[in-house]
Amino acid sequence: MLRKTLCNLPRFSQLCGLPRRLQSTQAEAAPAITTTVSADAEPEDIAVIEQRILKHPDYFQVHNLFTVRDLFNARVHYGHKEGSLDDRMRPYLYGNRLGHLIFDLDKTAVHLRDALNFVAHIAFRDGIILFFNRNALNAHLVEQKALEAGEFSHTRFWRGGIFTNANVQFDAVTRLPDLCIFLNTQNNVMSQHTAVRDAAKMAIPTVGIVDSNCNPNLITYPVPGNDDSPAAVELYCNLFKEAILRGKRKRRELLGLPPLDETQPRRSRNKNTTTKSN
Amino acid sequence: MAQSRLEKIGTIFTRVQGLLRGGAMKTEDKPIWYDVYAAYPPKAEPRYDRPAPEVPVRNIFYAEDVVRAKLHKQNRPNETISLFDNKRSTQSQQFMKIYENLKSQGALDEQRIYETALDLLAEQRQQSRLDASSEEPAVAGIELNVETKSQLMSDFMEAGGQQAKSSSPPKERKKDSGVGINIDSLFKD
Repeated sequence: MLRKTLCNLPRFSQLCGLPRRLQSTQAEAAPAITTTVSADAEPEDIAVIEQRILKHPDYFQVHNLFTVRDLFNARVHYGHKEGSLDDRMRPYLYGNRLGHLIFDLDKTAVHLRDALNFVAHIAFRDGIILFFNRNALNAHLVEQKALEAGEFSHTRFWRGGIFTNANVQFDAVTRLPDLCIFLNTQNNVMSQHTAVRDAAKMAIPTVGIVDSNCNPNLITYPVPGNDDSPAAVELYCNLFKEAILRGKRKRRELLGLPPLDETQPRRSRNKNTTTKSN
Repeated sequence: MAQSRLEKIGTIFTRVQGLLRGGAMKTEDKPIWYDVYAAYPPKAEPRYDRPAPEVPVRNIFYAEDVVRAKLHKQNRPNETISLFDNKRSTQSQQFMKIYENLKSQGALDEQRIYETALDLLAEQRQQSRLDASSEEPAVAGIELNVETKSQLMSDFMEAGGQQAKSSSPPKERKKDSGVGINIDSLFKD
């Protein structure tokens, strides 16, 4: 029975004619009149728009978010030492400088643009995006940037079953994220993050920064690059944040809603938590 | 959701595609990423069992590496380098600059160029050190007034270096130096 309700959950929003997702991460700034108008007229329209913009090679203009020089300055090209190389990362490497592996930033740029485009489209479709990072040094930065983008982050120990056994763990029908962004895909130097496998199990696409000692196979959109330096992680975070915000802004613009209040991205969620505690 | 949890078989796309084709998942239930993935498929299929390609990793070497290696083998480098400083060149970079300059002039053979470049570098460093040491007592006197001591110190070094290099009058030197410190006028009184 639980499964049945879960199946119907995505359809529920369509039946109600809601132009936005049930647990929206966007601020609810729209006045009542505009929402009813858009609810009557827009739902079909936004679906058509979603299909139409897929024909555009780079609708959100993510190619101009960064240059290869930016990647170089943020130290994205540094890999680990050659001994820890994962053979599946070979095609992304430029070479080996005295035992240190160097990434080919042209290839990184191509993969990163693909990933950013995908992220922007998911954000446009009102998907839930979850940031991952298991590096304590960068954890706060990632949480902060996810907050600024109005999305979610998980930078702590991953309890098994958060995705695969969610309905039991949270005692409620749970909507899983629509996209996982991994700022690093390793728990530590030895083992891969369990959420990479779990996301693949639950058919959730993943975008991941894969260093030279990582396995890119299960990552849907792998981006080869340095995942340790704070400078590099900050660059990735800013890029993903900007891509998400571009997607959200475009959606609100096309729906005729007032623009996103980016100074207070958490307003709608704060409201929910306060009502819960009351 | 009705779906296969076997992540080792196919990809997330092929698994969902199979469910949609077989009717196990209704069209209106399909995940929001499905169309985006179909429109922009990733460069490599994200299969669990995708084999590692047999691509050799080449070694990166430059022509200057031979001379540089020789330099570092015979003179152990003992300078402190700030990796955040992109303006200042290291001793090894200074050496390479002198070496390349001499080499482009031709005339000498490799070993002679190496030795001459080493002498020139030592001369250059001696000069800059002399300039720095002559300024040191004065620096100690005024450092209380200035917060950024290291910044000031490095500016003096830079200005001193330029002073050593150019034999032009001090007024022109002032324009040359990026920070605009004229050492002569600073220590008049």
